Amino acid sequence: MKKLIVTLFIAVSITASAQDRYTEGMSKAMQLWGEQKITEASNLFERIAMAEPDNWLPYYYAALVNTTASFGEKDVTKLTQQLEKAKEFSDVAKNISPENPELLVLEALINTAWIAYDGETYGMTLSGKNAQLYNEALQLAPNNPRVIFSKAEWDMGSARFFGKDITPYCQDVERAVELFATAESKEEPFYPDWGADRAKQVLAQCKS
Amino acid sequence: MKFFVLVLFSAIIWTSSAQETISGKVVDTSGNPIVGANVYLEGTYDGSSTDETGNFSFQTSETGTQTLVISMMAYEPHYEIGEVSYLKNLDIKLIEAVNQLSGVTLSAGTFEAGDNSKVSVLKPLDIVTTAGAAGDFVAALQTLPGTTTVNEDGRLFVRGGSAEETQVFIDGLRVFQPFNATTNNVPTRGRFSPFLFKGITFSTGGYSAEYGQALSSVLLLNTTDVPDEEKTDISVMSVGGGVGHTEIWDNTSLSVNASYINLSPYEALIPSTQGMEWNDPYESISGESVFRVKGDRSMFKFYTGFNHAALDIAQEDINFEDLIRFQLKNRNLYFNTSYKHFFENNWSIFSGVSMANDVNEIAIMEDAVDSEEINSHIKIAAKKGFSNRFELNTGVELFSTKYDETYQDVDGFTFDGGYDDVLVAGFLEGDIFFNQKFAVKLGVRAEDSNVLDQFSISPRLSLAYKSSEKGQFSLAYGDFYQKPLAESIKFDQSLDLEKTSHYILNYQYLDNGKTFRAEAYYKDYDDLVKFDTQFPEFNSNYSNLGKGYAAGIDVFWRDNKSIDNLDYWASYSYLNTERDYRDFAEAATPNFAPEHNFSLVTKYWVNELRSQVGLSYSFGSGRPYDNPNTQEFMAEKTKTYNNLSLNWAYLIDQQKILYFSVSNVLSFNNVSNYQYANVPDSTGFYNRRAITPPADSFFFVGFFWTISTNKKSNQLDNL
Repeated sequence: MKKLIVTLFIAVSITASAQDRYTEGMSKAMQLWGEQKITEASNLFERIAMAEPDNWLPYYYAALVNTTASFGEKDVTKLTQQLEKAKEFSDVAKNISPENPELLVLEALINTAWIAYDGETYGMTLSGKNAQLYNEALQLAPNNPRVIFSKAEWDMGSARFFGKDITPYCQDVERAVELFATAESKEEPFYPDWGADRAKQVLAQCKS
Repeated sequence: MKFFVLVLFSAIIWTSSAQETISGKVVDTSGNPIVGANVYLEGTYDGSSTDETGNFSFQTSETGTQTLVISMMAYEPHYEIGEVSYLKNLDIKLIEAVNQLSGVTLSAGTFEAGDNSKVSVLKPLDIVTTAGAAGDFVAALQTLPGTTTVNEDGRLFVRGGSAEETQVFIDGLRVFQPFNATTNNVPTRGRFSPFLFKGITFSTGGYSAEYGQALSSVLLLNTTDVPDEEKTDISVMSVGGGVGHTEIWDNTSLSVNASYINLSPYEALIPSTQGMEWNDPYESISGESVFRVKGDRSMFKFYTGFNHAALDIAQEDINFEDLIRFQLKNRNLYFNTSYKHFFENNWSIFSGVSMANDVNEIAIMEDAVDSEEINSHIKIAAKKGFSNRFELNTGVELFSTKYDETYQDVDGFTFDGGYDDVLVAGFLEGDIFFNQKFAVKLGVRAEDSNVLDQFSISPRLSLAYKSSEKGQFSLAYGDFYQKPLAESIKFDQSLDLEKTSHYILNYQYLDNGKTFRAEAYYKDYDDLVKFDTQFPEFNSNYSNLGKGYAAGIDVFWRDNKSIDNLDYWASYSYLNTERDYRDFAEAATPNFAPEHNFSLVTKYWVNELRSQVGLSYSFGSGRPYDNPNTQEFMAEKTKTYNNLSLNWAYLIDQQKILYFSVSNVLSFNNVSNYQYANVPDSTGFYNRRAITPPADSFFFVGFFWTISTNKKSNQLDNL
């Protein structure tokens, strides 16, 4: 009984603090995103972002939700809206947290969504930009698995196109997979941690 | 203990019971529900998204006066301020935001080549991968409607206007000699490498009050703000070679390039034989550099271009047995520097200066003409966006010209000509977006030229109405003035400004990868310069008694979606024009204005071959010329013009491209004009000579290599 009360007490006192409101809000938004409720998730991240103007993470996720939802989107109006929104949020996040490798990867991802939609139009102008973004990210965080993996996957795409050997990039992916496995969870709650599953998939393709 | 727990629980219950529900419905101006809008109390996490019926409802523990925010992409954000308990069953109407993405655009008369611009019909890449253009972006613009095919010249002839009626601007500042110096019947090229520019706007009429001193058309080039990456480019071509490098330091960057062109090896292999022979084929050394500094709220750019060219040619002339020798040396130096600052409250100021020094040394047989022209343009402009519905743009500018020329003939007779002029201009223009569907641009420009002692006021008006989701109508009207050309003004400074008025009606339809444009126009020319000798001379009599008109229809169609890997566009222009100017005996259609022009540009991407294959066809109806053996003036027409060009770009790997192109594959013998003898022969007949291109076809092979740290970029956008 005593234990229960103490637990309850702690829980309630945390509820009262703003920190927990943030955790709860972010968790809820993550859950909505997991349920593929894109609009709701994006809107909630946006609300948290507006209330926490010094934290880059809600902006990051608001942008990421809209970016990932844009892959495979055929409606150009919706795609444009989502990607412009994503870019806007990512720009704000960059202002809050400059020289952040995660935000450089995000920006490259937004560009990739444009290229995936219309490679003819955006490929030439944005691929140079992406290469630059990935290089910058790698300089800032040479051991960040998301950076290593995203860059490798990107490089792999064009190596395939030119009929080049993809082995060096597979090695990078392998390294990323190892780093994903050993990466310590960051102190910052909700710090991006995606990529491990996708990296394993790509590595499997490498080996097949 | 039990009591404590109870208190705790009741406290929690009390908290939840103090929650208020906020609810309402969000619709657009036509009453349709808006789905997915974000509704929340400002500064809190409390909020919700609207459902399929536009309804929202959420609970909050906030109390007192709060601000409810309703935000949705493409709509203006809406705020409701009130006591939480009153924020119930709200009816909220969102107004569509006026934005360039989906809204009406002021686009009459304008073709843009930009990346994300809605009105852009061509991308920068398109411009340089057009078959037959051989990397010259001006040649690619000649595939757009409103231009006429004047293949022996190379410059832009727009809607019945001569090439001098088109002005070129870089970053809002005048370029005084945008084309390489050349001679008759040897086509020129634009001086600039297209990859320095992020956007190209080509206006075939009715343009903004910000631009003046162009009767027909303006071509606006904007340099890139921040280059994407550091790289070194090397090119080896059948006509020369070039190197370029871009260096980036955070927000500062420098791009430089240099190229050397020499036609001698090509001419030795495939000599041009028609009506001419080279003594020294065209040779040039040129370089460009752009230095840029981007601040948080500012942009500084400094562009420099240098070009030194020489040629020595001998051309046929019906009046002489022997070929006429023409030698040219041209030196051109151009600076363009600008600074832009963005203030709080949507103010921005622009200031810039461009300067050009152009020196020509020309020898025609035994006669020599040396000329030097120094031009500058200073501009200060301010822009203020009062909301996203009203924007004001105003500025003042100053153009100065100093032109000196010395003519010396074989007997030692010399004549010095020249003039100095300062032209001051001011403009004021407002863009008003009444709503998502209807917009107006209203402007006025005033100019005062001191050499001509003349003051002019030109009104400009442009209206746009979006008739459907994908279609829009535009109307434009404007008066345009231009100083007479140096060839006349250097002899007679009592001349007045030449004038045109443009009336344009445009319809545009954009549908995911498909663009249709049709434009009808009427142009009224007045005060054109006339003189009473064949060419302007020091003792000619000059007047502004010339006049004319041009009317026509331009149609453009582009589709890059319907067929996989195929992108094509087609342009047709109908032109009906007559003018009485220069030495014309009466109003007539000039030689540069064929009635029908058609061009088709196709690009096909072959994935297996990693190649882009391009094919362009252009057609021009017969061009008028004057036959002195007949009574009528300018009454005959040449045969039609045909040109089929091919190109093939092969990506060897990420960094190396092999490029091959050939113009006029089918070797059509095109005739642009006829030159008649000044005096008839013994039977009273005036003999003639057809003016044809020096060679029917032109071959080009190039190898382009980009060295960049990321091994990713290539020069495909450089071709």
